Amino acid sequence: MATANHPAAPRLKGVQPLRAGQGTSFFWRKLHSLLGVIPIGAFLIEHIISNFEATGGPAAYAAQVYFLNHLPLVRVLEWVFIFLPIAYHAIYGLYIWMRGKSNVIYYPWAGNWMYMAQRWTGLIAFVYIGYHVATQRFLGVSLPENPGAAFHKVQAELANPWILAVYIIAMIAICWHFAYGVWLFAAKWGITPGVESRKRFGYVCAAGGVLLAVLGLWSIWAFVGPKYRNAPADVPVSMLVAPVGGINGN
Amino acid sequence: MASPRIIVVGGGLAGLSAVIKIAEAGGSVDLFSIVPVKRSHSVCAQGGINAAKNLKGEGDTTWQHFDDTIYGGDFLANQTPVKAMCENAPAIIDLLDRMGVPFNRTPEGLLDFRRFGGTLYHRTAFAGATTGQQLLYALDEQVRRFESEGKVKKYEGWEFLSAVIDSKGTARGITAMDLRSMEVRAFPAEAVILATGGIGAIFGKSTNSVVCTGSAQSAVFQQGAYYANGEFIQVHPTAIPGEDKLRLMSESARGEGGRVWVPKTPGDKRDAKQIPESERWYFLEEWYPKYGNLVPRDVATRAIHKVVYEHHLGIDGQPMVYLDLTHIDRETLNRKLEGILEIYEKFVGDDPREVPMKIFPGMHYTMGGLWVDFNQMTNIPGLFAVGECEYQYHGANRLGANSLMSCIHGGFTTGPIALKYAKSVEAVEGDGGAATEVTRQKEINKALITNEGNENPFKLWRELGETTTKHATVIRYNSGLQEADKKILELIDRYKKVNLSDKSQWANTSFAFARQLKNMLELSRVVVQGAFLRDESRGAHYKPDFPERNDEKFLKTTKASFTGEVEGPNFEFEAVDTQYIPPRPRRYDIAK
Amino acid sequence: MANKTVTLEIKRQASPDAPAVWEKFELEWRPGMNVISAMMEIAANPVTTDGQTTTPIAYDSNCLEEICGSCAMLINGKARMACSALVDNLEQPIKIEPLSKFPLVRDLQVDRSVLFENLKAVKAWVPIDGTYDLGSGRRMFPQEQELRYPLSNCISCTCCMEVCPQFNEATGFVGAATIAQVKLFNSHPTGKVLAEERLRALAGDGGIQECGFAQNCVEVCPKQIPLTNAISDISRDVLLQKAKDLIRG
Repeated sequence: MATANHPAAPRLKGVQPLRAGQGTSFFWRKLHSLLGVIPIGAFLIEHIISNFEATGGPAAYAAQVYFLNHLPLVRVLEWVFIFLPIAYHAIYGLYIWMRGKSNVIYYPWAGNWMYMAQRWTGLIAFVYIGYHVATQRFLGVSLPENPGAAFHKVQAELANPWILAVYIIAMIAICWHFAYGVWLFAAKWGITPGVESRKRFGYVCAAGGVLLAVLGLWSIWAFVGPKYRNAPADVPVSMLVAPVGGINGN
Repeated sequence: MASPRIIVVGGGLAGLSAVIKIAEAGGSVDLFSIVPVKRSHSVCAQGGINAAKNLKGEGDTTWQHFDDTIYGGDFLANQTPVKAMCENAPAIIDLLDRMGVPFNRTPEGLLDFRRFGGTLYHRTAFAGATTGQQLLYALDEQVRRFESEGKVKKYEGWEFLSAVIDSKGTARGITAMDLRSMEVRAFPAEAVILATGGIGAIFGKSTNSVVCTGSAQSAVFQQGAYYANGEFIQVHPTAIPGEDKLRLMSESARGEGGRVWVPKTPGDKRDAKQIPESERWYFLEEWYPKYGNLVPRDVATRAIHKVVYEHHLGIDGQPMVYLDLTHIDRETLNRKLEGILEIYEKFVGDDPREVPMKIFPGMHYTMGGLWVDFNQMTNIPGLFAVGECEYQYHGANRLGANSLMSCIHGGFTTGPIALKYAKSVEAVEGDGGAATEVTRQKEINKALITNEGNENPFKLWRELGETTTKHATVIRYNSGLQEADKKILELIDRYKKVNLSDKSQWANTSFAFARQLKNMLELSRVVVQGAFLRDESRGAHYKPDFPERNDEKFLKTTKASFTGEVEGPNFEFEAVDTQYIPPRPRRYDIAK
Repeated sequence: MANKTVTLEIKRQASPDAPAVWEKFELEWRPGMNVISAMMEIAANPVTTDGQTTTPIAYDSNCLEEICGSCAMLINGKARMACSALVDNLEQPIKIEPLSKFPLVRDLQVDRSVLFENLKAVKAWVPIDGTYDLGSGRRMFPQEQELRYPLSNCISCTCCMEVCPQFNEATGFVGAATIAQVKLFNSHPTGKVLAEERLRALAGDGGIQECGFAQNCVEVCPKQIPLTNAISDISRDVLLQKAKDLIRG
């Protein structure tokens, strides 16, 4: 042991050596990492693209909500592939954050800033998603049952400038977190083991992140911009069936 | 009896080599080192390690290696152990390769070899410019493996204080001090191997590491061990003077066209680039028109020394001369010398592509050391010595890249011999004198910590370094050596008034240093007086008053023994084993 | 120039349990001065700027050439080797503290033995049959040597561990240096025989998964070792090893 060489010395505390081959943290940490990309990242992309339907107006948006809520086993999918993974990713992420000690004051290097940014954007995402899911999924008008009310519900929410600010910040933070998360995933799973490959993939991730953020912000603009001001509180379901091309028989 | 316990002191190449052989043969080892063994001074070696592998189609042989080594050492080395080393060298290189040392390779995947001083053959295997580091790590890894198997117990952060010697004069273990708790303990062993390196600190600043004080050698010298050829100290011509130490600047800088010069005017304050050609003195080129800046190491060293101390032309009055590469284009420099130029840049802060380097000869290597027989045992039975701390492989001057080989060969030889000895030695009576020795050491500690006076050990050390460097390195005069001995006596006297500002008993580094200083002072008299007695010039030992080698009188090993008298050590001379190669004149102006 | 001085503020702690105090020293400037030579100067004249006699600073050092790895400390807040820290390149007063992530011994001395324990845990050695003469090793192309040599330059200074936000008592993270050594030994033709064991070791608690890829390690490394590349490569190898183990049962 570290201090066995100094029998007369007081036992010095410090970071313990590697517990070679012991414990399960490898599995849980890798699970956290994987879930961030699949399914959470995949869902994020889907969600931003779906929301982009808002730029087509209340009817198009309602159609998309209707479509998603009529996927087979939608409630199971929602819990298994969205809620539970996000909850795990968020809670384990907080645990990771708690155990790291950021030190950008003394080491203000790009990677170190990104390390810190990943934690803060993660926290923003955690808080925001909690609020967002509560208000949009579980409180107020239930959208699965009333997809036609979707546009109006979101628009009403974003009418509050504070909430709007929160949505904009969270949109950017989440896209940042996701884009850098994908980059980290590639680096830490050995997909980009060279400096050059990480640099190149960095550009790809940055472009993807910016694209997602732009799409997301564009969608927000659809709700608050002049084009669809005062959207109807509900769009009749009969209006929704045609645009999605008869996927749903009723 | 249970498997014998062997103590190895020192975790550099020599010590670790011995540990590996003993552990492999089933012995148990206690390994003592002041620093974690991976931080030992062996890491500083750069150039490479010699072995006549003859992979370049030059017809190199181990006999050639042997002849070069003996010739380079000016015939002072006993030939039997040197011959064994040269013959063993190729197998050692193979072994190091198998251990994973990242030696440089040829395109065909074979070991690459480069040329070094004192030979005409490509005989030096190398791993970049950090060969010593790479070799030490390979051995350190093997020792870590044995450590994890319980065959080796490391005592890192423990300092060797003395050998435990029983009433019959046999070594029975050691005393050592924990450098954190300052606890002194005895450790019994059937055999003790010292592998404690060089004595650079005796010269104040040297290319050696901080731990190379020679304290351990001096301690056993004071306990009755012979110290041999102490006067032979290698001074490397081109070191980078620093405030804290001297750092080596490789000979390849001159090989690529570097020129050595000083301003012609004493105390010239101008920047080097401001001094016109006509006011520069390229003294090596003037004195040695044939070889110019590429004269052999000892010649260059002596010339630089002379310019500084006799012509008083050191840069800005400091002991430094210029090594100038600025006339060579940047691209060539970067291609051929980048590694060493970066060292200079990092530590001096100047770019040697733009500004001439300031260099000076630096104390570099200890050819002398504890006297050992051909079995690496000192005259104290059971006490072995190996590596730079013993004397037997390099004679009066060491060839570059032979030191790493002598350490590893020595360790590999000593390990099995010590184990065999340990298995056959008579059982110890009682504690073998351990309790008495611990008491003696504790009394030394107590006296030092409670001492009243006004002397600072670090200041005494500086004065020691100044006098030994001035009088006992490159050029030696008997008058100067006498002056140095007088100065050392004065320092020994003043040492009695050392007052430590730190009297604590926890990680007291100045206390440990003060203990080493006493040993440095005693050993420095061996160097100075040995040099005084040797009225000839041989290898690194040069006396202008006796410029020739004198085989009749001095083809002898100097053996110093401690007396405790104010006159200093007792000296005797022993014939040198020259059974294979008869001595012949040593000249580097012609091919030998 | 004659009166130019250097000011140092050094964090002192007489023992692991003693309170930390800052002491200030003003020294005569000398050309080429580094932090080590400043501390040598203090040892020869241990007096603070207030005129108080104090004790010489306790610090680890050995080669003073940035190759032994001993003298890592925090200089103006940053982990680096004191021997290559030239005073002229530092903002004054120069603030010197011990490394913060390792148990303090005294003043600037810390205990970094955890790295050596980690090297044991991953079996960082080539398991040769024996030291007897078995002839040449396997042939190895220069390209392979060029891959291994930089990794083999690690001086165990622990700077990469000190600056790592993930290296702390909560994670017990193994740190970049050890991971790079795994890559070194897994890339040796004989060292490879232990590759699976090393990878499994690195999947233990405190293993490679704790890396947050802040990349401070590679920024701070005084030997410019490609640490992040090693982490990336070995992460993949560990993952594949664990996947294989899972499938094979």
